[in-house]
Amino acid sequence: MSKPAKTHKIKMMEEQLARKLNRQVVGSLVGCVHCGMCNECCHYVLSHPDDPKMTPSYKADQVRKLFKANHDWTGSVFPWWVGADKAPLTDDDLDKLKDIAFGTCTNCRRCTINCPMGVDTATLNRIMRGLLTHVGVMPEGVRVVSKDQWELGNQMGVLKEDYLDTLEWMSEELEEDLGHGEAAIPVDKPGARVMYAINPREVKYDPRTIKEAALIFWAAGEDWTMPSEGWDNTNFGLFSGDDGLGGASAKREYDKARELGVDKIVISECGHGYRSTRCEGVNWSGDAQAFPMESSVITMLNYIKEGKIVVDPTKNPKRVTFHDSCNNARSCGFYEEPRELLRLVTTDFQEMYPNRAENFCCTGGGGAMSMSEYTPRRLKSAQIKANQIRETGAEIVVTSCHNCVDGLSDLIKHYKLGCEVKQLVDLVADALVLEECYVMKSRPVAVAAVASEEPAAAARPVPVAAPAAAAPLAGRKVLVVDDEEDIRTFLVTVFEDAGAEVEQAADGNECLAKARTFKPDLISLDLSMPGKSGVDAFVELRRTEETQEIPVCVVTGHPEFRQVIYDRPVPPPEGYLNKPVDEDKLVSYVAHIIEHREAKAN
Amino acid sequence: MHESSSLLHTAEVVHWIALIVMAVVYTMRLRWLFKFKPGVDRSAPGSPARTNAKRGGFYSLFNVAMPWSMESTRKGFAFYLTFVIFHIGVVAGISLAFLSTIAPGLVAARPFAWVCGVALVAAFGVAVYRVFRRLFRPVMKLISTPDDYFSLFMLTIWFGLGAVTQAHLAGVAGFESVNLLVAYLFLTSFFLIYVPFSKISHYLYYPFTRLWIGRTLGHRGSYPIARG
Repeated sequence: MSKPAKTHKIKMMEEQLARKLNRQVVGSLVGCVHCGMCNECCHYVLSHPDDPKMTPSYKADQVRKLFKANHDWTGSVFPWWVGADKAPLTDDDLDKLKDIAFGTCTNCRRCTINCPMGVDTATLNRIMRGLLTHVGVMPEGVRVVSKDQWELGNQMGVLKEDYLDTLEWMSEELEEDLGHGEAAIPVDKPGARVMYAINPREVKYDPRTIKEAALIFWAAGEDWTMPSEGWDNTNFGLFSGDDGLGGASAKREYDKARELGVDKIVISECGHGYRSTRCEGVNWSGDAQAFPMESSVITMLNYIKEGKIVVDPTKNPKRVTFHDSCNNARSCGFYEEPRELLRLVTTDFQEMYPNRAENFCCTGGGGAMSMSEYTPRRLKSAQIKANQIRETGAEIVVTSCHNCVDGLSDLIKHYKLGCEVKQLVDLVADALVLEECYVMKSRPVAVAAVASEEPAAAARPVPVAAPAAAAPLAGRKVLVVDDEEDIRTFLVTVFEDAGAEVEQAADGNECLAKARTFKPDLISLDLSMPGKSGVDAFVELRRTEETQEIPVCVVTGHPEFRQVIYDRPVPPPEGYLNKPVDEDKLVSYVAHIIEHREAKAN
Repeated sequence: MHESSSLLHTAEVVHWIALIVMAVVYTMRLRWLFKFKPGVDRSAPGSPARTNAKRGGFYSLFNVAMPWSMESTRKGFAFYLTFVIFHIGVVAGISLAFLSTIAPGLVAARPFAWVCGVALVAAFGVAVYRVFRRLFRPVMKLISTPDDYFSLFMLTIWFGLGAVTQAHLAGVAGFESVNLLVAYLFLTSFFLIYVPFSKISHYLYYPFTRLWIGRTLGHRGSYPIARG
């Protein structure tokens, strides 16, 4: 039987491959001897022992076949001899390749450092992703996120007004906490020493980390700013293999830093953001004039070493362990500084094994969290990481990566490990002894008196106060929708304690009915419910005139549904939180959503 | 060169011609590799206090002799040993082929015969194990190409033939036929010509792939691997 002719997409991929080849890549393509030693280094292999297709060399062979068929002597003349006859020819083949390149590898590079030949298998898989992306074959999540990053400059589609609004919100919270407005977040401050670039996840799901970083910068007396553009340190080009997107995203940050005239970019805790901004971005963008860039972990560590901030480790007494992000440890050699900092701000640090560059992936890397179709496979592969964590006996898993936070949170829930995930910025902020920090020692006495009523106490430092607002939801109406009674009771209690008037519903139909009659200021919505699901109820709420303006905050135990709901052809929910949810976070988040909606309406 | 038979003489001449062909093809191979643009890393050094590109390059290049440096060789130490035995056998086999033509007295000497013979027999045993491993382990079957199978089969035969040829050259009873040496030289000649077109040419690329990945990861601060 004759072979089918190559499709246009295949020809485009071959042309693109030729453009991606350099000596190092060709070395990896010709250097593999199929010895199989990479096999047991991969978390997908270890968790799928009966599926040989999980082996890294098989994944890399997909691009190797394409290379051999077009560039290798033997492969060109006798393709069947070296497997080049199995190179993709039709568009159906591309779907299989998509599943392999995106669904069975997180590009964690563990196979790379375990290859006796020095073959960079993970880079070959990234090249295959890039070839597929080039011809428009990619998981829907990757497509959506890439589009957002191209069009809006950040991978989560955060609008500029929402970003700036969140910074303002965090500044207000800091003001409430501290009793003065000195720690407000500066935006686009020309000539500042530091430009702080963050992960859009912080804006969308965890703005507390921005507040904590701002507190630390302020406490250290840092001259810093956040940019209004080019603030996203993450880069989906790393995951999709699209060097064009990678270069454009990195250049946005570099250009903004130059425009502001800052001395350096400080990158918030994000593994792929750090690698993309500091290491790969300069290569993708061809930006020869790179300037100093460092992780916020190093910045915080230096503040402590220089005495600019003072920390008390006894404020973090629980047992912690540290998970190395693959991008930080394996691709950037960044693994000792987080440990040094962790030992300064906690009292009970337990190492996880293996660690540093040999650590296993959190399984959320390589953009895996955006590809919901592969979630069951990802969670199965997470068994390796779950075992690692369990053996430490830690109550808190610390990591310097937002992707890892999501990946780890997901697997901790799935494998019922009963611990929480934190970042170093959380622990440093918690351990701060504000009265000993630079900003308190150097300030004029009168300034410190803001929160004090007693003249004699004027010179005393201002403690980190508890949130000032006792009933942040006073006068608000919240509808709680969840099929699990205990969770409903918990949420109702939290909202009532925060001053809200609360109604509850146990399924989608009840939700729709109460939304019409109760007319809440916000609906807290579970997604997975018997009968009419939360997803269907959400779509109907959005399509019904009298309910479409009610803000919805999804509170779900299924983070993988995030993409499902964002893919609906209706405006997305105003908020999204994963269970288990922190009470303070829930209340402040919900209050912010309601205030934001009112501000918009006015 | 000794000329105990015209066939042997022919085998020796072919053998040297094959060596020249291999050298030429290898030169072309390297020219081909270096025609590709070099990958440039513009990023700032990672943790220069811990390591740098040069140190990473050296570490990577010599990690073949440091089984503790990679998890795959630490945990798979038995497999690492088979790798060592296999490649010592290759060195012994090549030495035997060339020395039999330029220093027949040396290969007949007892110490050489013992060392080379043991190395070849051990390598033959490992090669047989590897044949079974490649034929019956699902992972190995999945990733293997005809080139992988053929190269391994031929090397297994070459080790076996090398061992009996060494016995012949050492004057061991039962291995008197000079045809053993003739066959061994012809098979070696075949290899010399076939190798640049097969997976066996990996050793040509090995120093470069190891050096390049080592320099990159050394520059970034990941190499040498740190454990704690």
